Amino acid sequence: MLKRLLATASVATLCLVSNASAADTINMWVRTGIGAAFTGVVDAYNASHENQVALTEVPFAELVQKYATAIAGGQAPDALSLDLIYTPSFAAAGQLEDLTDWAHGLPYFDALAPSHVKLGTYEGKNYGLPLSVETSVFAWNKDLYTAAGLDPEKAPTSWDEIEANAEKIRALGDDTYGFYFSGGGCGGCMIFTFTPLVWAEGKDILSEDAQTATLDTPEMRAAIDKYRSMVAKDLVPESAATDNGTNFLSFTNGKIGQQSLGAFAIGTMINDFPDLHFGIAPIPGITSGSSSFAGGDNIVVTKGTPKLATVKEFIEYMYSPEAQKVFAQNGSLPTRSDIAADVLKGLDPRLQVAVDAIATAKTPYTVLFNDLINSSNGPWATFINAAIYGDDVDAAFADAQAEMQSIIDNAK
Amino acid sequence: MTSPALTLAVPASSRRRRARMGQWQGLLYIAPAMALVIVFFVIPVLFTFWMSFHDWPLLGQPEWIGLGNYVRLLTDTRFLSSLRFTAYYTVITTIAIFVVAFPLAIFVEKQRRGVGFYRTVFFMPVVVGLATASLLWVWLANVDSGLIGPAIRMMGFAGKKVNLLATFDSAFWTIIVMVVWKVAGFTMIILLTGLQSIPVELNEAARIDGAGSWQRFRHLTLPLMRRTIALALILSVTGSVLAFDQFYIMTSGGPQNRMISVVYYIFNQSFVSFHLGYGSALSIALLGILIVLSVVQLRLLRVGDDK
Repeated sequence: MLKRLLATASVATLCLVSNASAADTINMWVRTGIGAAFTGVVDAYNASHENQVALTEVPFAELVQKYATAIAGGQAPDALSLDLIYTPSFAAAGQLEDLTDWAHGLPYFDALAPSHVKLGTYEGKNYGLPLSVETSVFAWNKDLYTAAGLDPEKAPTSWDEIEANAEKIRALGDDTYGFYFSGGGCGGCMIFTFTPLVWAEGKDILSEDAQTATLDTPEMRAAIDKYRSMVAKDLVPESAATDNGTNFLSFTNGKIGQQSLGAFAIGTMINDFPDLHFGIAPIPGITSGSSSFAGGDNIVVTKGTPKLATVKEFIEYMYSPEAQKVFAQNGSLPTRSDIAADVLKGLDPRLQVAVDAIATAKTPYTVLFNDLINSSNGPWATFINAAIYGDDVDAAFADAQAEMQSIIDNAK
Repeated sequence: MTSPALTLAVPASSRRRRARMGQWQGLLYIAPAMALVIVFFVIPVLFTFWMSFHDWPLLGQPEWIGLGNYVRLLTDTRFLSSLRFTAYYTVITTIAIFVVAFPLAIFVEKQRRGVGFYRTVFFMPVVVGLATASLLWVWLANVDSGLIGPAIRMMGFAGKKVNLLATFDSAFWTIIVMVVWKVAGFTMIILLTGLQSIPVELNEAARIDGAGSWQRFRHLTLPLMRRTIALALILSVTGSVLAFDQFYIMTSGGPQNRMISVVYYIFNQSFVSFHLGYGSALSIALLGILIVLSVVQLRLLRVGDDK
C-alpha cells in the first residue's frame, strides 16, 4: 500500500516537473514610467502563449545599479528592458548574451530601429535589440487654452509664445499653472525634455566624441533664462522644484497648461485620460527650429540564462504585427520600419507628430550616461536645479562644467 | 575541615582537566554569538578592508592598486564636503535630540497620573522604521497634498505655496524635526534608566542640606548619570554620522547635492558609479572616524575611571 502511494506520488511529482519545464516563466525587469505599451504586449503574450513573462517594475533611477548588483549577486532576471544608452557599458562588462547569429537570422533584422541596433552592438556583436522607441514632444491642454482665450488648435512655435500663453493660463486661477517640468534632480527627465531647446540650435552639452563638456553656451544660458523667468513669474507649480521624476506626468491632472513629455505619455493620456484634450507639437528651439530626444529601450538578455529559447520566442512575438500594434496604441513608436505604416494606420494622428520628430531627434552617446546625466546626484541633474532655482547661475554653469569634465577625465 | 581535604584528595591533573572542561563549556555557550559576530561583522569588515586596496568595479575584474584609493580620498572634494555636511548634521541633531529628550525623561520619571501613557506616546515614533518615517514626512512636507506647507499657508504665514523640501534650510530643518520626533523617545528611555538608578535618599539628603533644584540637578543628577549620558551620546552621534535613509528618501541628496552625507556618498560611489573598491576605502575611513569619535567621547565623560 505504502509503496503504491509512494509510486503515485512520484508519478504525480514527475508530471508536475515536466509540466513546469514545458511552460517556462521568464523573469523580466522594466523601468517604471515605461507606460502601458510594454505591459500591454506582455499581457497579450501571456494570454496567448503557454510560456509566461513575469514583469518586475524597478524605479527607473535605480534600474542600472539594481541590475548590476543583481548580476554580481547571481540574482539577475532572464531579460531586461534597458534604457538603450546603457547597452554598451553592460555589453562591455561581458554580462549580456550574444544574440548576433540569431538576430541576423530574423527576416526583418534590417528593418529594426537602426539607432537602437547601433547602441546594442558592441565590437561587432549584437547584445541588444530594440524594444521601444519614443521621442520627446511638446503638449498643451486644449481646454485650458480655450478657457484662457487662446486658440486651442494653434500650437505655440516659440518659447516666447509658450511663456505668454503660460501667463494667460496662470491667470485662470489658484491651482492652474502654465507650464511644468521635473526640476528636482531628475536628470533623465530634463535631458529628454530640455536639451532639445539647444539641440535645435545645433549646440550640445557634450562634444561629438563625448570627451569634452560643452555645457556653457549662449543658447543654454538663454534656455535656462526662459525657464527661470517662468519660475519667477510663478507660472510653474512649486512642487516642480523637488520633483525627482515621480510626478513627470503632472500634465495628466488637467491643471497644467503646457509641458514637454514623451510619446509614451501620449499613449497613456489617450488610453487612461480620455477627458484630457491635448495637442502635440515638436519642442521649439530656444530661438528657432525644433528638436527632440530619440530614446527608448533595448531588450537585453542576461548572459547564461537557462531560458534563452523562451526569451527568443518572446522577442519574436514582440516584433509580430499584432504586438507592434499594441505598442503603437500605447504610444511606443514602431520598432520595425517595414510594417510601420501598417501599424500606425488608423491610430491617433497625434502619434504621427512623435514619429515625425525622429527626423530632427538626437540620442546622446556616452558610456558615462548614468554618472553624467541620469544619476540624481550627477552634474546634469544638479545643474538643472541650481541654474533654474538657485541664486547664482554663473556658479551653476561653472560647477557643472567642471564636474562633468572631471568625471569624463577620471574615466579615461 | 572536610572540603580542603577533599580538594587535596583530587589529583592535580583531574583539576586541570575540569578547568579545561569549564573553558570549553564557556566557549560552547558563547559560540552562537561569536559565530554571528564573525560571519556578519568580522569577516565583512576584513573583506571590505581587502577590497579597499583594489580598483574593484561592480562588474569585471578587480585590480590591486595598493593605497591608491586612500590617496584619492584625501583630495576628493566631494568626500570632504560630505564630511563637512555630516559633521554639521551630527552636531545639530545631537544637540536637538538631547534638548528634547532630557526634559522628557525628567517629565516621565516622576510617578504621576498617566505617566505610562506619556511614556508610550513619546516612545511610539521609535518603533517606526526610519525609512517609513521618512516617507511619512515626505508626505507631511508635500507642497500640495501635505500637512505642514498648506497649514503654514492657511494660517497666513506665506502668500504662495510653501515647498519645504525645495531650499536647503527649510529641507534641513524639516529633516531635523523628523529625526528628533523619531529618535528622542529612545534617548529619553536611556536617560530615564539613568535617572531611576539614582537613589532617592541622595536627593532627599541634598534637599535637607538646602540644595536648590538646579544645584541638585547640576551636582547630583548629572554626575551620577555620566555613564548613561555617555551611552546615549555615543548612540546618537554614531547614528547621526551614519545617516542615510532620510536624505535619500526625503530630498534625494538635494537641493543641489547639498545633503550628501558620508554614507550617501559611499552608496553613490559603490552602487551608482560602481567603484566598490573606492567605496570600501571610504567605509574604512568612516569606521576609523567613528572609533576616534567614540573614544574621545568616552574620555571626555571620563567613563571607565570611576573606581
